[in-house]
Amino acid sequence: MKTGIRQAILLTTLAVILGLATNTLTETGIPFFGNWPSLAGSDSIIVPPSADEGDPPFISLDEAAAKFQTPGILFIDARDPEDYEYGHIKGAISIPYDYLEDINDPRVTSVPKDQGMVIYCSGTECESSLYLGRDFQYKGYTEVSIFFGGWREWNEAGLPVEQDI
Amino acid sequence: MAMDSKLLHNDYVALIIRLIIGVMFIYASYDKITTPAEFARIIYNYHLLPGELVNLAALIMPWMELICGIALIAGIYRRGSIVIINLMLVIFAVAIAINLIRGVNLECGCFSVSSRAKSNALELLLRDIGLLILGVYLFINKSTRFDLLKSKS
Repeated sequence: MKTGIRQAILLTTLAVILGLATNTLTETGIPFFGNWPSLAGSDSIIVPPSADEGDPPFISLDEAAAKFQTPGILFIDARDPEDYEYGHIKGAISIPYDYLEDINDPRVTSVPKDQGMVIYCSGTECESSLYLGRDFQYKGYTEVSIFFGGWREWNEAGLPVEQDI
Repeated sequence: MAMDSKLLHNDYVALIIRLIIGVMFIYASYDKITTPAEFARIIYNYHLLPGELVNLAALIMPWMELICGIALIAGIYRRGSIVIINLMLVIFAVAIAINLIRGVNLECGCFSVSSRAKSNALELLLRDIGLLILGVYLFINKSTRFDLLKSKS
């Protein structure tokens, strides 16, 4: 058993060294300490580790709720249509990222360029909101923000939702 | 009884199980090593680790799987690798069980980091326990016949 433990420690050390070294040396590297909230408080901003510097701003649940109260802000649901129908943030429109042919899809281009928008998807388990946000940004939209806490955080907080069924 | 003991310490049974577990662990590590950001997101969604440790876990765990998988098959530090593999299987079982109780529909992050790969938690748990039984067998089995590096014990 002693041998086993000594070997296990050696193997673990090797894994730690290789893991951290690879992360430092490769392009897919992520920060060693992520920006994941331990106890998702409503004022903490959840940022996915795949986020890049130039990405649209990520907003917290509190900020999303504030924007919800602001007239003229468009909420965009990036999830699949069936998820949207089952329940979405009140007043949100559906632009399902996985169903878009390309970024010239009329559902994207029909939105005015200076439209203030909050894009969300399921929550931290999906990245459609990030990808759709990047597409909008790429097309020259300036008022894009991403609510990465998404449907899950919004719904759990008991904020206004609606169904399309 | 003599028969039982024979099966328990059979060289070939041990080798086959080593190959099964080893290949699975090596295969499982690939997707996670190449896309750490995706894997970090999956670990975060288990809601078990403090936020600060999520990325570190995502960086180190796949390498543990890869190294232990290779070590187990090659028979280099085989005892150590089976200790770690069994420990990981226990941790996975606990993580899946907690989320099964919570009723969270989680992404396993077992063999793939694709967010389409939603899984049935009960099936995952049973598969994990099955592997753990094989792992415990390897821990008990003292066969060193196919080890590249025979440790003195």
